[in-house]
Amino acid sequence: MADAPRLSHTTAMILQAIGAGYIYGYSVMEVTGLPSGTVYPAMRRLERDQLIRSQWERQSVADAEQRPPRKYYKLTRAGEKTLEASRKRYPLLAKLVATEEVEDA
Amino acid sequence: MNPRRMKNAWLQYATLRVASLLGPSDQRAEWIEEWRSELWYVPQRRAMLFCMGAFRDAFWLRCNNTAPVKRSGIHLESPLSCLALLATLAAVSILIAMKIRVPDLPPGPFSSHRASDLAGACGMMLLFSALLLPGTLRVWRAPANRYPLSWAGRLRRGLFLAVKIALLQPIMLCGFIVELTMGQLGGFASLGFDAAVILALRWIIMDQQRRCPVCLRLLTSPVRIGTPSRTFLEWYGTESTCSRGHGLLHISEMSSGYSEKPQWLRLDDSWSGLFAKDVGRRT
Repeated sequence: MADAPRLSHTTAMILQAIGAGYIYGYSVMEVTGLPSGTVYPAMRRLERDQLIRSQWERQSVADAEQRPPRKYYKLTRAGEKTLEASRKRYPLLAKLVATEEVEDA
Repeated sequence: MNPRRMKNAWLQYATLRVASLLGPSDQRAEWIEEWRSELWYVPQRRAMLFCMGAFRDAFWLRCNNTAPVKRSGIHLESPLSCLALLATLAAVSILIAMKIRVPDLPPGPFSSHRASDLAGACGMMLLFSALLLPGTLRVWRAPANRYPLSWAGRLRRGLFLAVKIALLQPIMLCGFIVELTMGQLGGFASLGFDAAVILALRWIIMDQQRRCPVCLRLLTSPVRIGTPSRTFLEWYGTESTCSRGHGLLHISEMSSGYSEKPQWLRLDDSWSGLFAKDVGRRT
């Protein structure tokens, strides 16, 4: 994993949250406790570095639930590798944002 | 979203709209859509705090925008467009100057705003500019030219400078009248006005220096020449090119026998192949 980029603790938390299934910006904010001014630029940076990718929800799905469509994020293969490296670097990361806490997102 | 929430959402939408101005224009629509859709899920009590983060996000997007930068709408490269911009600003300034009422003004050209008096006021502004010119002319270094321009070329260049200075007067007059209406600021407003006049005059003269003496277009593609540590029989500074291929302007950063003045090197017709109509223009 020598090639995996070294992330800051905050960015690693956000990557961990997305990996744990918190796939929307606001849900990442809620689970990490970070402000919007930190979370959204960090997610853009992760997307620019191709560690996550974003996609807009289908309009028909949002219309059926009478809400606006949301942009959701997923880890890429490189993102998964980087997250693994970050977990080794920050051992408490998995406890801070645990996978089992994921609600039906 | 419930009706009460929608009623209160205008402030958050307005905040997002203002924040979006920080971001690049080509991504603005999607950016706003993303933030609005996320805002829908944020509880009302936290909505405003949530929206404040949009400023940082938009600023990040601006700083990290990889899309090629589009040219701004203001093109000052050609002399006509430069004069057109100044003329527009002058016309707007005259309109503003005629609308503003200046209280308790002593009799004189500035006391009323009839069009006939504005000309006199502009004349006074010209005199004021002339008083400031000695300080401004320090930036003026007429280029040395091995091949002197024709009298028609020199006349055109002089006229261009004169028209620019003339068009500046109504703009400065408008600034002066605005300064009078801000009487309570006293010396600060006056100081600011004087500084603005000096800066405007310096811009006029520096703009003149950066133009090709033949076609009066702004010189492009500045390139660094030489190094400061090797000045024996050499020079160092900046070389700019006329996009129409009329010549090169060498501006030295250190005064020497060769480079006391900017050197204009005229290119003859053999160079014209390198400067086809669109080659060398800024994109």
